[in-house]
Parts: sequence; C-alpha cells; structure tokens
Amino acid sequence: MKDWQASTPKSYSEVQEMILGALSPPGRSYWGAVILCLFGLLYGASCWAYQILTGMGVAGINHPVNWGIYLVNFVFWVGIAHSGTLISAILYLLRARWRTSIARAAEAMTVFAVMIAGLFPFIHLGRVWIFYWIIPYPNQRDLWPNFQSPLVFDFLAISTYLTVSSMFWYMGMLPDLAALRDQSTGLKRRIYGIFSLGWQGTHIQWRHYGTAYLLFAAFATPLVISVHSVVSWDFALSIVPGWHSTIFAPYFVAGAIHSGLAMVLTLLIPMRGLLGLQPLINVGTLESIAKTMVLTGLIVGYSYGVEYFMAWYSGNMFEWDTFIWRAFGHYAPQFWVMVVCNVAGPLLFLIKAIRTNLIWLFAVGIIVNIGMWYERFVIIVGSMSHEYVPHAWGVYSPSWVELSIMLGSFSMFLFLFLLFCKFVPPVSVFEMKEHLWTHGKA
Amino acid sequence: MPSLGRRHFLKLLGLVGSASLTGCSSESPRRLIPYLNPPKDVVPGKASWYATTCMECQAGCGLWARNRDGRVVKLEGNPAHPVNRGALCARGQAGLQGLYDPDRFRGPGEKDGSGVFRALSWEEAFSKAAMELKGLLSRGEGERAVFMTGLLTGSLRDLCIKWVEKLALGGLVMYEPLSYEPLAQAAQKVFGTWAVPHYSMEKADLIISFGADFLSTWISPVEYARRFSEFRTPEEGKRGFFVFFGPRLSQTAANADMWLQVRPGAQRYAALALLKASWKDKEGEKAPWPGSAHLEAFLEKWEEETLLSKAGLKREEFHFVRKLFQRSRRPIVLSSGLETVDPHAHETAWISHVLCSLKKESLELIDVGRGWSVASAAKRSELLSLRDKIESKEISLLLVHGANPVFSFPEFEVLEEAVRKGHLKLIGLSSTEDETTSLSSLILPASNFLEDWADVEPRPGIRGIVQPVMGTVFDTRGLGDVLLELTRRLIPGDPLGHYSFDGFLKERWKSFHEELGIPGGFDSWWAEILRRGGQWVEPSSSKRCEVASVSPPMEWASDEGGQGFELLAYPTVQFLDGRGANRPWLQELPDPMTQITWGSWLEIHPQDAERLGISNEQVVVLKGFGGEAEIPAYVTPLTIPGVLSMPLGQGHTSFGRFAKGCGVNGWKLCSRGANHVSIQPRALKVKFANTDGSLSQHGRGLAQGMDLGEYQEAKSKGQLPKLRLPLPEAYDPKEDFYPPHKHNLYRWAMVVDLDRCIGCGACVIACNAENNVAIVGRELVLQGREMQWIRIERYLEDHPLKVRFLPMLCQHCDAAPCESVCPVYAPHHSAEGLNNQVYNRCIGTRFCSQNCPYKVRRFNWFTFTRPKPLHLQLNPDVTVRQKGVMEKCSFCVQRIVEAKNRIRGERRTLRDGEVIPACAQTCPTEALVFGNLMDPESRVARLSRDPRAYQVLGHLNTKPAVIYLRRLETRREDMAP
Repeated sequence: MKDWQASTPKSYSEVQEMILGALSPPGRSYWGAVILCLFGLLYGASCWAYQILTGMGVAGINHPVNWGIYLVNFVFWVGIAHSGTLISAILYLLRARWRTSIARAAEAMTVFAVMIAGLFPFIHLGRVWIFYWIIPYPNQRDLWPNFQSPLVFDFLAISTYLTVSSMFWYMGMLPDLAALRDQSTGLKRRIYGIFSLGWQGTHIQWRHYGTAYLLFAAFATPLVISVHSVVSWDFALSIVPGWHSTIFAPYFVAGAIHSGLAMVLTLLIPMRGLLGLQPLINVGTLESIAKTMVLTGLIVGYSYGVEYFMAWYSGNMFEWDTFIWRAFGHYAPQFWVMVVCNVAGPLLFLIKAIRTNLIWLFAVGIIVNIGMWYERFVIIVGSMSHEYVPHAWGVYSPSWVELSIMLGSFSMFLFLFLLFCKFVPPVSVFEMKEHLWTHGKA
Repeated sequence: MPSLGRRHFLKLLGLVGSASLTGCSSESPRRLIPYLNPPKDVVPGKASWYATTCMECQAGCGLWARNRDGRVVKLEGNPAHPVNRGALCARGQAGLQGLYDPDRFRGPGEKDGSGVFRALSWEEAFSKAAMELKGLLSRGEGERAVFMTGLLTGSLRDLCIKWVEKLALGGLVMYEPLSYEPLAQAAQKVFGTWAVPHYSMEKADLIISFGADFLSTWISPVEYARRFSEFRTPEEGKRGFFVFFGPRLSQTAANADMWLQVRPGAQRYAALALLKASWKDKEGEKAPWPGSAHLEAFLEKWEEETLLSKAGLKREEFHFVRKLFQRSRRPIVLSSGLETVDPHAHETAWISHVLCSLKKESLELIDVGRGWSVASAAKRSELLSLRDKIESKEISLLLVHGANPVFSFPEFEVLEEAVRKGHLKLIGLSSTEDETTSLSSLILPASNFLEDWADVEPRPGIRGIVQPVMGTVFDTRGLGDVLLELTRRLIPGDPLGHYSFDGFLKERWKSFHEELGIPGGFDSWWAEILRRGGQWVEPSSSKRCEVASVSPPMEWASDEGGQGFELLAYPTVQFLDGRGANRPWLQELPDPMTQITWGSWLEIHPQDAERLGISNEQVVVLKGFGGEAEIPAYVTPLTIPGVLSMPLGQGHTSFGRFAKGCGVNGWKLCSRGANHVSIQPRALKVKFANTDGSLSQHGRGLAQGMDLGEYQEAKSKGQLPKLRLPLPEAYDPKEDFYPPHKHNLYRWAMVVDLDRCIGCGACVIACNAENNVAIVGRELVLQGREMQWIRIERYLEDHPLKVRFLPMLCQHCDAAPCESVCPVYAPHHSAEGLNNQVYNRCIGTRFCSQNCPYKVRRFNWFTFTRPKPLHLQLNPDVTVRQKGVMEKCSFCVQRIVEAKNRIRGERRTLRDGEVIPACAQTCPTEALVFGNLMDPESRVARLSRDPRAYQVLGHLNTKPAVIYLRRLETRREDMAP
C-alpha cells in the first residue's frame, strides 16, 4: 500500500466533497465484502443458537477452566472499544489536533466493539434466557442482584459505556448528517433527515452543540478509565492466583488503549486507501498513533514485570507457581507470543522509518492485536487451569463452536464498520472545516 | 349472559386451569401420583425402608433399601448387620444400577442360531425349557445336564441342591471367580478344615498382608475396612502396625505403614523367610505340632540369604519386620489367595496360616469354624472336570444363573465352541446378558435380588434375609420360583413341597425358629426378622483355632523360568471380577490409585518404560499365555520394575452398553501358573479418562500428615489446633471484611479423618445415588466434565513413595468465595451455615466455580439424561438439574429437612447423629463425621478440638466447615525394638 500524495483540500467545499465523496455508491466488491461478513455473522449466530439448544458443553470449557475464549473475546473487544473514546474525548480535551481526522472512525469502532463485547457475557451464560436477572429491576419477589458481585459492576459499566459512547458518537455526527441530508434527494434525504434531528446549523444550535460535546467529552473521559478498571475487577476481585492483584485496573486500561490503538491502525490504513482519504488521514496522524503505542506498550511491559515481581515478593507459593507455570507450562507459547507481540512489537516504532511506513504500521497493528488477544487468553485461561488444588488442574482448548462464534464476532465488527464507511461520513466534515479555518490546512 | 351454574363453573375452571398448565409445563412432563388405591405401606412422598441383604458379592452385607412411591431409590448398609454395620462399598451402593440396568433381559425369550432374540411368554419359555430337560430325563440322561450358578448360600442353595437331586441332573456347580481356594486349601492343611478363615483384625497388634487387598476387594472389604480402622484407632492405646508385601502399591498397600516390594510369586519366599526366622519363637503349648519335624527339615533347606534375594527384599527392612513380628503378641498374617495376584498363592497361604499359628493369641483371632461361605464355591478341579466333560460331549445341557465363566475363566472358552458345534445347549437363567448367557438358546431371566426372596449366609451364624423391596422392573421371576415351576412341569404333583419359593424359604426359617428355641410364635418372629434384616448370633466365646499340621506341602513349585515381565491382574474396587462393569456409576468412579475411569490400563514402572521407550498412554501389545491384547500403558511407580499390573473386570464383549468397548479382559491374559508376558509398544496413543490434574500436591500441604509421637504429646498437653472455624467466634476485624454470619441453632459441619479414609470411593457412589448426580461418559471425563460432588484426591509422595487420600467436597465456607461473586445470589448462605445452591436462580456465569479454591462446583454442560429404566432410581427429594446450572455438594440438605420434619412437634433440636449425609452414612471406616458445630458436645465439635485438626487452604480465610484430621504416621524408629 503506497501512501500516494493526493492534493490536500484547500477549501471548505473541497473538504466536503472529499469526505462525502467517499460515500459514493459502492461497487460490487464492497457489497461482496458486506455479504461475506453478513454470512460470517449469521454463521456465528447460528452456532450460538446451537449452543443455547444443546448446552454449554459444545464449547471447550471444562473444570477447572470455566471461562474460555468467550470471555477472552469479551475483554478483547472491550479493550478495542477504548481507544475510540480516548481519541475523541481525551485527545479532544487535550487539544491534540491530530485526532480530528480519525476521531469519527475510531468512535464508530468503539461503538461496534462495545456492542460485540456486550454480547459475549451473554454468549457465555449457561442460561442466557434469564440473563435479565442480573439487572436490578423491581420485581414481585423482591429479588435484587448481588451488588457485591463484580459481574453486576461489569454489567452496569458496560451498559453505561455503550450508552455514552454511542450517544457521543451520534451527537458528533449530527451536523454531518444534516449536510448529507441537504446534499441528497428522495428517500435518502428523508432518512438522513430523520437522523439529523432537524439540525439547521443555527448559532444557537452550534452553541448548544459545543457545550454538549464538551460535556460528553468530559463525561466519557472517566469512563475510559473506569470501564476497563471494572472489567479488570471481574478478575482482581476473585481469589484466583494470577488474578487477585491491585495492579489489574491500570494494567487493563493501558492494555485496552494499547489494543485499541492497534485496531485503529488496522482499520484506518485500509480505509483511507479505499475511500481516498489519504490527504485527511495522513501519515503524520498515523505516526502520532504509533508514538502513543510505544508508550502504552511500555506500560503493558512494565505491568508484566510488576506482576512477576509481586508474585515473587509476596512469598505466596500459589501465586508464584501460577506465574512460573504461565511462562513455562502448557500455555508457554501463548505467553511468549503475548510478550513479544505486545512489548517488543511496538518498540519497532522507535525507528522513524518504521513508524512512517504504512506496511509496517499495519503489520505492527495486527501483531499487537494478536498479542493483546493472547494476553487475555493467558490471564484468563492460564490462571484458571492451574489454581490451588493440583488434583483439579486441567487445560482447555477452544472448540469449533467457540471459534465459530469468535469468527462471527469479527464478521459482525467488519460488517458494521463496512456499513459505517459508506453510510456515514467517515471523517467529521465540520471539524475538518474548523481545522482548515484554524490551521489553514486540513 | 347464560346463567353459569356451579357445576358448569367448576368444569370451565378445570378446563381453563388445565389448558393454562399444559402451556407452561416444564421440560419434564409432570405426572400424577400413579396410585388410585395406594398400597397400604406406600404413603406418597414418604419413603419406606426395607431390610434386605446385598448379593453383589459373597460378603453378604446387610441392606436397607429406601423405597419411594414404589421404587427403590437408595441402598444403605443395615446398621444392625454384623458384617457391615451400616456401611456399604461402592459396588453395594451401585446394586441399584444392577436392578435398573437398561440391558437386563426384559422377559423370557429364545435365540436362534444367528443370535437374534425373540421374546416368549413365560408359559412358552417354561414349556420349552421343560421339553429340553424332559428329553434328557426321559432317556435317563439327567446326568448330561448341569446347573451352574454363582455362589449361593442359604435357602436358594438348598433348593438348587434339592432340585438337582430330584431331577437327577449332573450336578450343581457354584462358580465364583474369586473363590480364594488357596486359602481354603491351606486352611485344610494347617487347621484341618476346608474354610476361608475369618479374621478379627481389630484385636490384632500387627497385620502382615502378603498381597491381600482387604480394604478394597478381599473377601469382605467393608467389614475388614471397619475392623482395620478399629485396629488403627489411636484413641484406644496402641496403634496397630500394618505391613504390606506385594509387587504393587494397591489401595490397601497405600494404607499400610510399610510397603515392601516383592515380585508376584515371590511373596512365598518373603513369607518363608519370616517363618524361618520366627519358627523358634513359636508359642504353641501343644508344640511340637504334627509335622513340625518335617517343617524344620524343610526350613533347614533354605538359607535366609537365598530367600531374601529370591523375594528381592532388603535385609534391614526384612529384619525390621521380623522383629516386629517377634515382639507382636497378636499378629495376623494374611495372603491374597488369588493366583492372578500371586501365582504361588497356595504356598503363600499355607505359610501365612503357619505364621499365624506361631502366636497363641493370634489363633484366637482366626475363625476357621465359621469361615466364609465362599469356600463352598466350586473348586478349580471341579470346574476343569466340567470343562473336560463338555469337551468330550458328556454334557449336553447347561443351565446358567449368575455365573459368567466364559468371561472370567479362560478355560471355559470351550463353551463357545461346544455351543457353536451344537453339542451343548445353554439355558440362561441370569437376569442380565453376559458372555456366558449370550450363548444360551433359551432365556428365562431371573429377578434381581432386590425383587426376590432369598437368604444369605456369608458365615455360619449370620443369616441375612433378602426380600423383595419393590415389584419387578421387567417381566422376570425369582430363580426359586422358576426352578419350582420347572419341577412341576417335569414331575407331576408338587415334588419339592412348595408352590412358591417364599414358602420354601419360610419353611427353612421355621426350622431355625425351632432350632434356636425362640419363645413366641413364628409369625411375630418372622416379622421381626424381616424388619431387622436377618438373624445373627454372636459367638458365645471365641474358640481358639487348633493347628492340625504344619508339615510343608508335598511339592514346592519351582520358579518358572519365564522370560520378560510378570503380569499381575487384580480385582478392582469398582467391578470386582467384572460383575459391576455395566454400572455407569462404577465405570465413572475413578480408580483409587490411578484415578482413571472408563477403561483399563497396564501399569508399568518408569524404569521399564524408559528402557522400552514406552510413554504414558502409549498402546502396547501384551502377549501372554492366554493370547494377546492391546492396552494403553500407564507409566507409574505404583508397580515395581519387571512387573506389569492391570485391573480385572473390564473388556466385556456382551454385558451391556456401558461395559462395551471399555478396556481389556485381564482374566484372559493372566492365566495361572504362567504369568510371564512380553510387551511390544505400538505407535499409537489412547488417552486415559483420568480425573486427576496432578500426581503430587506440589508441597501445598492440602493432605497433611502428623507424626504419631507428636500427636500423642500434643494430645496429652491438651493442645488445641489453630483453626478459623465457621462460627462468629472466629471473626477477626483485622482479617475479615464482612461481618460474621449468625446461625440459629445449627451450623452444619463435617470432619474428615484422613487417618481413617482408605480411599475406597464408596462415598462417591453413595452421593451419586442420593443426589441424582449425572454420569457423563468417557468422552466428557476426558474433557474434564465429570459431575461427582465428592471426590477422593490421590496424591503421591516420593522418598519413600507413599499415598495420601483427600476426600474433597464443598467446604460450606463461612466466608464463601462463591457467594460474593454470583450476580444473582444463586449460592446462598443459609441460616444453618449451609452454602446452598439455588438451581432455579442460577444463570450460569460459572464465576462461583471459578472463584472456588477447592474446585468442588460442577456445571451442567448439558442436560444429562439416563437411559430407561435407570431414571427410576432418581431420588424424588432432589432436583434433577438441567443444562446451564451449577451444582455441588449440599451436605444432603434434603436429609436435614427430612430430619427436622420428623421431629417437628417434639419441641427439641436435632440430636447429634440424627442427620447423616449419604457419604458419611456409607463410609466403612467412619472417616466422615457430620454434625452441628454449634453444639459443643457434638462429635464434629469435639473432633475439631483434636490436635490433628486443620483446614485445607485455611490461610485463605474462607473458614471452611469441613475440618480435616491429619493422617497419623508411625515413624519406623518409633517402632524399632
């Protein structure tokens, strides 16, 4: 993939044309890809149906590994979901201007990833048909969920995050949807009209918009930290050796941002090429992401080290055994994949030539994605298979149903992202215009 | 609106009600109670208990069968019975699955040449069977028909003998694969009586066993396990010492204080060395006994060095045992009496008996006069002559009931050929199809012992009654009734004097009534017998056993100079000789030593495995005297170098669906006298469905031991153990985050005495039966999905090699990690301290299991079902769980509730011992004790103050309510004279 230089838009109309031009009627290959992803999604869904009808036994989970790759995927997707809000909210508050061109796509990625992440705990439930018992709703029997349980925190955190991030995403799109409405005719116009909620671009609307956006950004920022902290408590609040640790919250948040940025690279590099957005999402932006990843990679690496240090320093035989076993036991290959991909991989970005080369950027993005998936695998499976009672030790490997549902989740993600690329402005038009005004170039 | 009359209204209401109920019925259809006019003794929802006797093996343990709504749902030991005193082994517990065996004959039938079964009516079946017999009888060839049964005692045996006599048939052959003939023969020689002696082990101070696995399978394991635990009880003065000589660290050897490794067949040398060294210490007043001179001359011939080197014993170890023996006043010396375990079992048995005779007091512990009924089983020579007669076509009709020689007696393979060639016909009277019955052309299936009348006399003086505890499951009839009916059809009139077998039985008991001179009428006594489960008289005074002769055997078999490995095949705690193989509970009971389920294996020492390049789970071709077989190798130090061990009982070809395809038949490979085999590795692996995640406990101190001396010292000082009891007293604001639980009246707890636990697994099966625990099958065990609520963890320790058993069940923690993580409160802490699992509430997050440090929770990966009619066994008091739900040990909460209902209105609390969970109830050694920890005088409270008490993973501060008592270890130095 060559980063060919198209002319940078010089005027508002050029910006608008370039971005909305990306929504031009897609070709056959696009629809082919959409249908392929839809099939993948349906296949995953039917595997889930099969699992519900037959029982959880169709998955590879067992005693003692009660949680398999469903929860690995859950944590993985929640992690992916983090960088979107980080980019749009935190970097917005920090006035990091390189975020403008990628915020919309990153937020879309966030919303889709949370949706998928939210599905996995249900997929993983033994009796999903009564999942709503986890919700604190008033009922005749006065039965409430157990607020001590991290799973209830988790449910609340994820649903809050999904609500806030999708509202933030949608609200940020309103002016662009209105622009689309104004540009289109017929049914399309009506649909965009409905979704643009009567946006006129009046001063008062802009003022309200500005306040609301800032408010959401401020509201979403702590969520970025809190959601993954809560997810980490699913593990840290248990007494499983390898889980029961206070480092888990920052460790998980850093990991989440790390994986989210890698996913941004993985998605945006092809997207900008295919939609002709290179002038807007330029190498400089990607380089900034790469630099951030060096930081998050180092934090993750430090966390790995601290985990080992704490296990050794605690003098707790069970902890130490678990960590030794992680590195040298049955799951040693996964462990070393994790270390190499997550820590060594991003360090390549210290070299300027690599972090400005699209192929390298893309490749490292993929590598970190793989590494972060394995990190969750190592944490979840690698701890549960080697707990306190040696008689109960056992290993796990995913079954075809679990892998199919995982495939389904990736299909669903791509399916939604493909639709996003062609039906919603993938880059924020008005923010780019604002950018043009302030900086003289988009 | 038309007027709606009362009748109309009720009709409509009924219609609407039933329609709406149909709509929302659960997965299982709800059935109405099937009795319109219930039988007198059946109260719906209330269990009736019937006393009967177990016929799963020759031990004859007393039973209480629990009948709920017309079905037997649980078997328990009869507490009054002198053999088992309320306990029961795994096989006894699984007797129910014999009754409800889905592969039983559904009714009489015949088989044509191609083996296709055609159902017959009993009338047809009787007339066909009578025709067969009549054909022979009319020609005066009654001799050509032989009746072969399993080991029978009491009335049934009488009837069979009478029947065979009346019809002048060729004879009654009672076939018992584990007949312990060498023991009886040796007793004949030494004590002058053909008997399998009974031992009062609890009174001994030293037990030396030459391969006798008396804690798992030997003769009467439940009784001997109990006597053994009494023998070892530290409370009552001195603790007995137990030495095991054998090639394999069996479950019994694992409980020994000392395991001395001896090759199979060399046990006799070890025993002889002991005899030679101890002969001069003999105490007999009547000595010299007859034959003493011969014996002395015989002993002269052997050098101690030679004997020790032949046995492979270390000099100092042997001398240690010799000194123990010398010092001991009441030693008991046992031997296996099984040629598959010890090819020279005859000689070992003889020396063992002589060794016992050396001590005056030991002779009081051996009861030869009232030995085990198993001694009356057919001798090997009789079986071989029967075989010869079949081969030479002298026998043309064989009636078989409850005997399966084709499976367990390799020489009887001729049956198959004889049937195929058409010069032998078989009539099957067994209730289940097996390898022998499957050859029969006509089948008149007898009822299971739980459906029939009988009586059992395991030893003289003990008469257990067997009564029908429910109606027949299938269209079967009692063996006695079948025989009586056949007689009527052959000889006019009522030749045996009775129309039905229960009449015959009662008549026999009438004669006991007269014999014993019991006051009162027979009927009230009979009712009492039925209630009590039999009649037994304790010996008035123990009569000392007399030594008849100690002269050595005429011939001392020389060592066969075979090549290669020696093979040892042992009966197993699950299947014994193989009779339990079609019981899914037993198939899924992990072997106590290897923890393997559903299959057989070949134990090979790591040294040998390395030499031959065999890895664990690798299939080897085993070539022996009786043919060859492919079997996966289990590389383990449990067996000594040069010896291969394998379990007996698997490898059935036609014994039902559960036994099918499981393992290899050891009987065929392990022929007597020639136990040398060769093995050839194959490039193939077969996974073991084992349940253990690790061989060792990795120094984690889960199963702990304690030195006897230290313990006695601590006890005398009145030291209390450091425990975090699940009581409010144990609350420590510095350590505890949540406030303590308050319990009203009860805080249920259990004490597990590791010094008493022998690892037999009876508790596992009792729990399966009581709590409707699902059986998952080999494939799911391989995936780590077994469902058992209680398991016996087995940990090996090196240097010296020893074994620790650790029963593991829900610990009902006071600060339960499972409770806090469940989002919907499905694990719930009850007011009595139970950690209840509310199945209805469970949504299946599995977080509880994840957070349980003991890993005792079990998840329903599927909706597990049972093939009909096994489902009739389900305990109606316990929910059958559906898919997606977590389950675990409930401390048998249904029993607690039942007990509380029982005392309702009595204005009192439950007394200690009024509630016993199924596992504790069946434990032969009383290793499990259940009770209320809030009552300071309860047994659990008292035991929790014992210096041996500890909690598994106590440092996690979960405050478990299962308190373990450390296993006591006798240091050899302390025993040294």
